[in-house]
Amino acid sequence: MEKENIILSVKDLVIKFKLRGDILTAIREASLDLYEGESLAIVGESGSGKSVFTKSFMGLLDGNGWIDSGSIIFEGEEISKYKREEDWIKIRGKKIAMVFQDPMTSLNPLRSIGKQVQEAVELHQGLKRDEAKKKTIEILKDVGITEPERRYRQYPHEFSGGMRQRVVIAIAIACTPKVLICDEPTTALDVTIQAQILDLLKGLKEKYKLTTIYITHDLGVVANVADRIAVMYAGDIVEIGKCEEVFYNGQHPYTWALLSSLPQLGVKGEDLFTIKGTPPNLFYEIKGDAFAPRNPRALKVDFIHKPPYFDVSPTHKAKTWILDPRSPKVEPPESIKILRAQWEVVSHG
Amino acid sequence: MIKYSIKRLLQSLFTLFIIVTIVFLLMRLLPEEGYFGASYDKLDEQQKEAILTSMGLRDPIHKQLGSFYKKLLEGDLGQSITFRPKVPVAEIIKDKIPYSLYFGLAAIGISLVAGVSLGIAMAMGKGKMWDKLGTGYVVFIRAVPAAVYFLFLQLYLTSVFKLPILFDIDKPISWILPTISMSLGGIASYAMWIRRYMVDELNKDYVKLARAKGLKGRKIMIKHVFRNAFVPMAQYLPATILFTIAGSIYIESLYSIPGMGGLLVEVIKRQDNTLVQALVLIYSSIGIVGLFLGDILMAIFDPRINLEKKGGAR
Repeated sequence: MEKENIILSVKDLVIKFKLRGDILTAIREASLDLYEGESLAIVGESGSGKSVFTKSFMGLLDGNGWIDSGSIIFEGEEISKYKREEDWIKIRGKKIAMVFQDPMTSLNPLRSIGKQVQEAVELHQGLKRDEAKKKTIEILKDVGITEPERRYRQYPHEFSGGMRQRVVIAIAIACTPKVLICDEPTTALDVTIQAQILDLLKGLKEKYKLTTIYITHDLGVVANVADRIAVMYAGDIVEIGKCEEVFYNGQHPYTWALLSSLPQLGVKGEDLFTIKGTPPNLFYEIKGDAFAPRNPRALKVDFIHKPPYFDVSPTHKAKTWILDPRSPKVEPPESIKILRAQWEVVSHG
Repeated sequence: MIKYSIKRLLQSLFTLFIIVTIVFLLMRLLPEEGYFGASYDKLDEQQKEAILTSMGLRDPIHKQLGSFYKKLLEGDLGQSITFRPKVPVAEIIKDKIPYSLYFGLAAIGISLVAGVSLGIAMAMGKGKMWDKLGTGYVVFIRAVPAAVYFLFLQLYLTSVFKLPILFDIDKPISWILPTISMSLGGIASYAMWIRRYMVDELNKDYVKLARAKGLKGRKIMIKHVFRNAFVPMAQYLPATILFTIAGSIYIESLYSIPGMGGLLVEVIKRQDNTLVQALVLIYSSIGIVGLFLGDILMAIFDPRINLEKKGGAR
């Protein structure tokens, strides 16, 4: 993995929304570096800002939302400054494409799927009619649609959920983007189909040399596809590191809580672990560590000061006071200790 | 499609039969003095009886109905009895059709172009100036009884712009006001529906995907949103078009346009049974054909609609 080349760099991004006269801060000074060719997973519970965060890379925020401060730099260009539609058109599809969560609604029901894919081919590959159609059929074949010539003329309602998601992926691929954002690509699908779609995405990433971002709350998906994991909570990335680092050696109490909630880590016969409480109200300013009120191991300082990033390894960092050398020793939960024991084996052979 | 059309045709014939029969019977329930108009007081009972018998109104109802349908099957709509006695109904109506047709077509053209453009402008700038103005217009047209602004237009515009008050075939300038009046309602309905359906479509996920694909706003509007918003309209478009062409009852009598709409009001007043029956037959057929065309049009636009299979997916 060439981890040198940063393709997308987000710095201290703040995104706000105006809702019925009140202002909501959806993203609170989140920073992220995306390396060319990598596969990054952003995990977090519903409402943590995963989708909003990535939508801002394409200028797709809803009309009542805006970038308040911070910057997004893509291939050296500060795209967070873009205001006009014409500027974003240069990014959308061409550079960054997106696969949405619900394939049942993300296709136009009245146009044949061939036409919908071809639209992207004509727009971004500069091909016309017959050539574009040939290319479209090729892409349909690439995403695993059998009999693409026949399927080309069919309409979305003639496709199953999994097949529709393949079409949505085909549209994204047809744009020939550099970065592909998959917003919960398997959440709306049958479990049996999920693995197929993930395999497809992995294959396409290799074939088209894509950099991929997965947004998910399914850690199973993460383990399957990601090189790195970013854990998002209340609009900020609280921990980021290589997949194994975050899984086996998680540092942030929120990461612990997420991992402990995995059914696989539960003890048979005992209740499954759940994170108590609800995410903070984003209409108010959050003081200290946003997770502190739900964290049984919270320190006093967590309620007063926002923690900075502490490096765990050159590739792994977390925003928690636990990592501060002055902090008292905090014992992680049992399930995390088991994971750490496995980590010893994984990292030291 | 053919099987469906035949089925629909049979159903339509049955519906027509019911409508015409009911109207036929209702006309027979009207008080008899209507048949004599102004001369009612001058005639004695015997003369009246003789006239009614000659009109066939003294026959038992089932016999009257039977002979009406028998003639209808032969393609004979009968003769006028009071409006223009002894003149074939078909001839009277034939003279009226061109007026209604021309005014109707002009009004449809204006209301489609203006209404759809207004609707698109409203949907694209939702909550902005055009939307507010348009909504104001739609609410006004829908809430205020049509007679009020029709009369207002006739009264004030004719005096301000020195336009003739009544229709005159030789003066094209007298065609303007009736055409505008006839379009007002259409503009409001088309604008309202287009706006509504487009706003519905704009919030759908496939529009987000189209944006993420890199399509420009204008292209999304035309290729995706407008087309999809048009489908629910397609269903009742033929019916409204046909009805407009068939003539506006109120406008035609207001401006004394010798069209079909004005005729219907006139012949009901005069109790010209055969003419009323013929006109009702025409209007109901138009309604039924309109709805049928609407369904066909929708099936053409929307690939999900299959007119022949029942139930089916979802």
